[in-house]
Amino acid sequence: MRWVTRAGVHIDRAASAWLIKRFLDSDAEFVFVSDPGQMIEGATAFDMRGAELSHHAGDCTFETMLHRYELADPVLWRIAEVVHEADLDDERYDAPEAFGLDIAVRGLSLVCDDHRILDITSPMFDGLYEYIRRRLILGREPA
Amino acid sequence: MQFSVEKDHSPGQWVLLSYRLPREPSTPRITVWRKLERLGVARLGDGLVGLPADGRTREHLDWLADEIGEAGGTATVWLATPASTSHERTIAKAMQAARAAEYRSVIEQAQGALGSIEVRRVQRRLRAELRRIERRDFFPPPEREEARAAVAVLGADQDVPR
Repeated sequence: MRWVTRAGVHIDRAASAWLIKRFLDSDAEFVFVSDPGQMIEGATAFDMRGAELSHHAGDCTFETMLHRYELADPVLWRIAEVVHEADLDDERYDAPEAFGLDIAVRGLSLVCDDHRILDITSPMFDGLYEYIRRRLILGREPA
Repeated sequence: MQFSVEKDHSPGQWVLLSYRLPREPSTPRITVWRKLERLGVARLGDGLVGLPADGRTREHLDWLADEIGEAGGTATVWLATPASTSHERTIAKAMQAARAAEYRSVIEQAQGALGSIEVRRVQRRLRAELRRIERRDFFPPPEREEARAAVAVLGADQDVPR
């Protein structure tokens, strides 16, 4: 399936693309457009103005996607808190990881194109998932 | 984007949000107002705010425009260049003055905590506060460095294992 989002990927789109690939559509193909409202025929838009899979009621796109696809995994919801704070920075959640993660992705956006950012951040989110999963099971920092 | 207010330069690009929200219910109005304050916008008129344009500021105002629409209001986002450098300088100076006041509040709180047993806790809180102010500081005033120094010095004489 084709998925379309805005060019100039930051944390919310990188995390959402990872979520799509890992949990929704392993054959996902991503298209980036420069106009925040531009839709593409046959592609599902995410993190774009007016799209269903976007910011709603103060939620970031990653959170909207967890709601929409009924993904109840507590690990994903913790990642959602981190992504929310990195993206919106409104202190709805306590997520100190957000600050560093946001800068890491912003830094990548200065030296990589969007496809490359997804390639690099994908294993990063795999790692974050595993870290949070083990932390939830162990009740302490796993590494 | 950060550029000096004083320096002679051609006007930069700004992102503007023009919006209207119904008077009632008041909750969305307050939410939007708080978010605009957090972003450190310039108030250009009734229902018109602006920020120096960069990827982050454009995105924040785009989302806010959507949120205003969902709350029953109307909003449009514009990219604009001030026609004169002096207009831009006036706006930038007002923004700079607003941040300077916030930094001064941090400096006062830091100085007030010196010697207190709570000094470490105050330092942690003020560091977070400084980060928040710096994120909306587009035209850094001299008070920024003073505030950083005032927070850094907290607890410097108390470096003993806790």
